Amino acid sequence: MTPLPATAWSTVRTLAGVTLKRLGRGKALWIGAMIAALPVVYAAIVHAAQRLVSPDDLFIFLRPLLALLPAMFVAASIGEEIEDRTSTYLWSRAIERWAVLAGKLCALAPIVIALIVGAWLLSTEILTRAAPTVVSCVALAAGALVASLTAAGIATAVPRHGMALTIGYMLVDNFVGVLPISLRTISITHQTRVLAHLEGGPFVVATPVIALAAIAVVWGTIGFVRIRRLES
Amino acid sequence: MTDSVVVADHCSKWYGQVLGVSDVSWRLGGGVIGLLGPNGAGKSTLIKMIGGLLRPSRGTLTVYGQNPFDDVGVRRRIGYAPEHENTWDELSAFELVSAMARLAGVAAGKADQAAKDALAHMGMTGAMYRRVRGFSKGMRQRTKLATALAHDPDFLLLDEPLTGVDPVARVDIIERIKQLGAAGKTIVVSSHVLYEIEALTSDILVIYRGQVLAEGNVYEIRRLIDRHPHRIRVECDRPRTLAAALAREDHVAKISVERSAVLIETIDPDRCYEQLATTVLAEDLAVTALSSPDNNLGAVFEYLTGEGGRR
Repeated sequence: MTPLPATAWSTVRTLAGVTLKRLGRGKALWIGAMIAALPVVYAAIVHAAQRLVSPDDLFIFLRPLLALLPAMFVAASIGEEIEDRTSTYLWSRAIERWAVLAGKLCALAPIVIALIVGAWLLSTEILTRAAPTVVSCVALAAGALVASLTAAGIATAVPRHGMALTIGYMLVDNFVGVLPISLRTISITHQTRVLAHLEGGPFVVATPVIALAAIAVVWGTIGFVRIRRLES
Repeated sequence: MTDSVVVADHCSKWYGQVLGVSDVSWRLGGGVIGLLGPNGAGKSTLIKMIGGLLRPSRGTLTVYGQNPFDDVGVRRRIGYAPEHENTWDELSAFELVSAMARLAGVAAGKADQAAKDALAHMGMTGAMYRRVRGFSKGMRQRTKLATALAHDPDFLLLDEPLTGVDPVARVDIIERIKQLGAAGKTIVVSSHVLYEIEALTSDILVIYRGQVLAEGNVYEIRRLIDRHPHRIRVECDRPRTLAAALAREDHVAKISVERSAVLIETIDPDRCYEQLATTVLAEDLAVTALSSPDNNLGAVFEYLTGEGGRR
């Protein structure tokens, strides 16, 4: 008896499980964890030297994580699936294609978020002997999520160079984010910093949330639309 | 019309400027059919279009009356084993096949048993908990076939399922595919080696340069191909031993030894494959790869299309 097509939820769950299992048996997780530890090491060195560094200064060392970790985990995983043609197994199954992307994101975005927020928590704790604000943690989680969606969109559109292009995009995003011009509105790192309320002054929520949501929608749409039309 | 499993109507596929399949009109009613053609002929493109991995650039192609690219439902009836070896190597064969079964719609509670059954059917019970990364080509092929089988599809698409498989495993896999055909599955199996196809079925579709050259019984094309020596390349640990054992056979037209391989040209491939299997077992040789360079088949196709004569 031929079974019914897999439900979208079952596909997402299966793909997330497989992605985590593969990640756990590879090297990427350990390399990612080592990269995420760099700001913590920096905080420890600064603390040992008894220098004064504000959380906003520390955030400068967190920004490269927003460029590297989504590229390493999300873009690499999606790009590899398509480029190595293991996706042929998936496209020939009775599944909704968007669920493949959703499954990958469900597995990998939480890891990216955990590593970035974990690095922030530890480094701030070491540096200031106090936990960071909840708002700053939520902001970093949101930034990591949007960066992961961006990585997914880029990797789906250009699988062969997904990881490199994501790093490139996020480095440009970092650069644009520090420019004193209105273009920085579209910068993930800038909006994350604003939402984290690291500069002091009035606490603005609406603008960064809307900007991050818009960026997420744009790249998410690119990813989910593109994956429906991909051929192997 | 609706009785046909596959209906291709003036179906073409381009990859940019490169033609994959050109104006193919073909109807498959059922049974086991072999797609025969040299590498690059368009076999994989046609199989991928049937499996819903590619959309025709022009024309239409339906499977069980539906467009397989857009219709999720019809793909539940298809089991596809690709020609490439890449898979989720970090997983064990059991984990891989079980995940594929779940993705094909088998309930989570039944997927593990379905995976075990499919792997057992392909003779992989002893290695099912080992990771795919360490598998030989033959074991990979068996695992790929198990992923195609696990959800018990009505229609199997097997793209070059015997490539790189050692002679003993080849005989075994052929037998298992024949069993599936005898059990009523519709099977499309591709190869660039006539003798592989011939061992599976007498119904063939000959493809060359993206076009269907011929459809029907294998014997006529066999007669033409038999005029050309068939080449077999065997990579093994002791090529000289293998060469010495085969050199005295009258069907071997030429034999040459490379560093870790033997290249055999034979006028009787069936006997040659049989003796290869016997020799490998008798001499306890470790065969790492077996392939049939298709230059000779290409020459036959050029002869068939008249291009050889025009040169």
